[in-house]
Amino acid sequence: MGNRKDIIERCREAIAERLPRPSLDDLRPTVYADPLEQFKITSTAMGSRVETAASASEADAIIRRAYPDAQLIASALPEITIATRNPDTVESAQALNGTDVGVVRGTLGVAENGCIWVPQTMKERDVCFISENLVVLLPASCVVSNMHEAYARVKVPESGYATFIAGPSKTADIAQVLVTGAQAARTMTVILLENE
Amino acid sequence: MSTSHSRAAGKFLEDSGYAKWHDNTFWGVRAKRDTMAFGLDEWERLREKASEIKQHTLTHIDRYLEQFADAAERNGAIVHWAEDADDFNRIVYGILAEHDVKKLVKSKSMLTEECEMNPYLEERGIEVVETDLGERIIQLKGQHPSHIVMPATHLSNRDVCELFEKELGTEPGNDDPVYLTYQARLSLRNEFLTADAGMTGANFGVASTGEIVVCTNEGNADMSTSVPKLQISAIGLEKIIPDYEALSVFTRLLARSATGQPSTVFTSHFAKGRPGGGKLHIVIVDNGRSHWLADPDHWQMLRCIRCGACMNTCPVYRWSGGYSYSYFIPGPLGVNLGMLRDPHRYSGNVSACTLCLSCQCVCPVKIKLGDQIYQWRQKLDDMGEANKEKKRMCMAMEKVMGSVSLYNKATSMLRYVNSLPSAMVNGSLNPWAYGHKMMKFPKRPFHEMIKDVEKGSTDK
Ligand code: SF4
Repeated sequence: MGNRKDIIERCREAIAERLPRPSLDDLRPTVYADPLEQFKITSTAMGSRVETAASASEADAIIRRAYPDAQLIASALPEITIATRNPDTVESAQALNGTDVGVVRGTLGVAENGCIWVPQTMKERDVCFISENLVVLLPASCVVSNMHEAYARVKVPESGYATFIAGPSKTADIAQVLVTGAQAARTMTVILLENE
Repeated sequence: MSTSHSRAAGKFLEDSGYAKWHDNTFWGVRAKRDTMAFGLDEWERLREKASEIKQHTLTHIDRYLEQFADAAERNGAIVHWAEDADDFNRIVYGILAEHDVKKLVKSKSMLTEECEMNPYLEERGIEVVETDLGERIIQLKGQHPSHIVMPATHLSNRDVCELFEKELGTEPGNDDPVYLTYQARLSLRNEFLTADAGMTGANFGVASTGEIVVCTNEGNADMSTSVPKLQISAIGLEKIIPDYEALSVFTRLLARSATGQPSTVFTSHFAKGRPGGGKLHIVIVDNGRSHWLADPDHWQMLRCIRCGACMNTCPVYRWSGGYSYSYFIPGPLGVNLGMLRDPHRYSGNVSACTLCLSCQCVCPVKIKLGDQIYQWRQKLDDMGEANKEKKRMCMAMEKVMGSVSLYNKATSMLRYVNSLPSAMVNGSLNPWAYGHKMMKFPKRPFHEMIKDVEKGSTDK
């Protein structure tokens, strides 16, 4: 059985010269004049639908309009009153299978690539993946230009998991044809909350 | 006389229509990468930083490994250390057996390929289900990946249609990629729901936080670890990076270089087992890496972030396909890693390089892949792996080129080669003629022609 001490010791002996870490001060990454506008453009390009609401209380109506046929809606957010399932109280992750729309909150958006940081605040996080359609609420004020700014701000919560999500699940594994809806959500709607 | 790669490539090229399609497909991915790269003013600076961060990390990897493992354990993850492939397989099987796992769903991992984990587990009665669509396709087909990012791209939708008809019972003749993807989704959904454990590889391990970071487009790593309660993540020790600042550099480069997207759809951070009884096991694997780190000529290969860009751009890869290489990773990366793994077994791949160096122009961490292949070639002779015929001819050439009079005589005779029967020039006696025709030699050698030109200009 491999042993931590041996492996680390072998690495230590293998190192000929310790090289310095570069500073990113002279990287000069792209910064957008209007990150929110750029975020909308990139998110759309990544396959998301972008909606704007004054506050989370409007989300129900937007979801109903976007997914008129949805019956099973899963969310642990108090603002989502149309939810029929709660990822906090379902008995197992499997019980969320068949969800038409899952609704979660993101805390940070990234303009350069449409990524949204979604920390696990619910008990069963598969709501983010197992739902046929995913809706992410995001405060419009929480959008930064690039990943450097983003990683300076995010942190994995106590639950031990967080993910950046940038649009619906995708694959091009069959003949290089881009298909949305591989193993996770088939569509994604971002609702930007203007008053948050 | 020819190398294992050139013989296999010869077979690949027999179907010229397929070869052309293969070339176009991967060149298309390279073109998408360029669009992304040219879209960022800081692209080249970003590559430079990435390269330097990797050099720094690898030359402090002992400290970062300690930091990573300590942080992961503080989070509540269970950390294992695997000396080699056997050790790795034993550890994984041990965890699965302890939890009485019958079915394991997993996302793509080149490390588990490297350790040949799937057959090991299957022999011991565990069902292993690959959940990346491309990986699932080749698993059902009984093949290995032909590319590290797009493992099934060598197959057409027709091939997948026939396979799915047989394996998943899809509509006969329906080869629409949207339909086929949906059918795979339904079948995999069932696997996720009934699996006892989920496994991921790792794109990065963050030393400061002890987190495993996995990047996918399909969300299959997240599905694999959000439904079953037991998670195992396998990470090669070179994948550890210092912190989020470093991660911000690599995540900007990875998807842009790999598939020409600004980001993968999911960039997931795993710090501990799921709430409500979940467990996270992290297996850190050496399997030769600490020895490679000590190799003064080739340790920099450990910088690789497995984006696949060097394959997409490589003319030899594009025109010979992943299966022409004898190592399980193809392209410039695979040629190098194969030589590090076992130079005698994999030396048949070092010919698979034109030294155009396109790979090192696109590599996001600026590995000098072509230069290193050149270095391996210089070592072939010492290893007793040089091509014998070419070596004899080189020795003859050294003699001819070392002597002005012999050289002049030889070059003025070359035109007679043109009138030799083609079988002699292009045939099996001439090792350079394998796979391509020999050039036509000019009537008069260059040094005679230039004399005339010089004479002409002084006459005026
Ligand atoms: S060697 Fe460079 S280009 Fe090739 S897969 Fe690794 S990081 Fe990508």
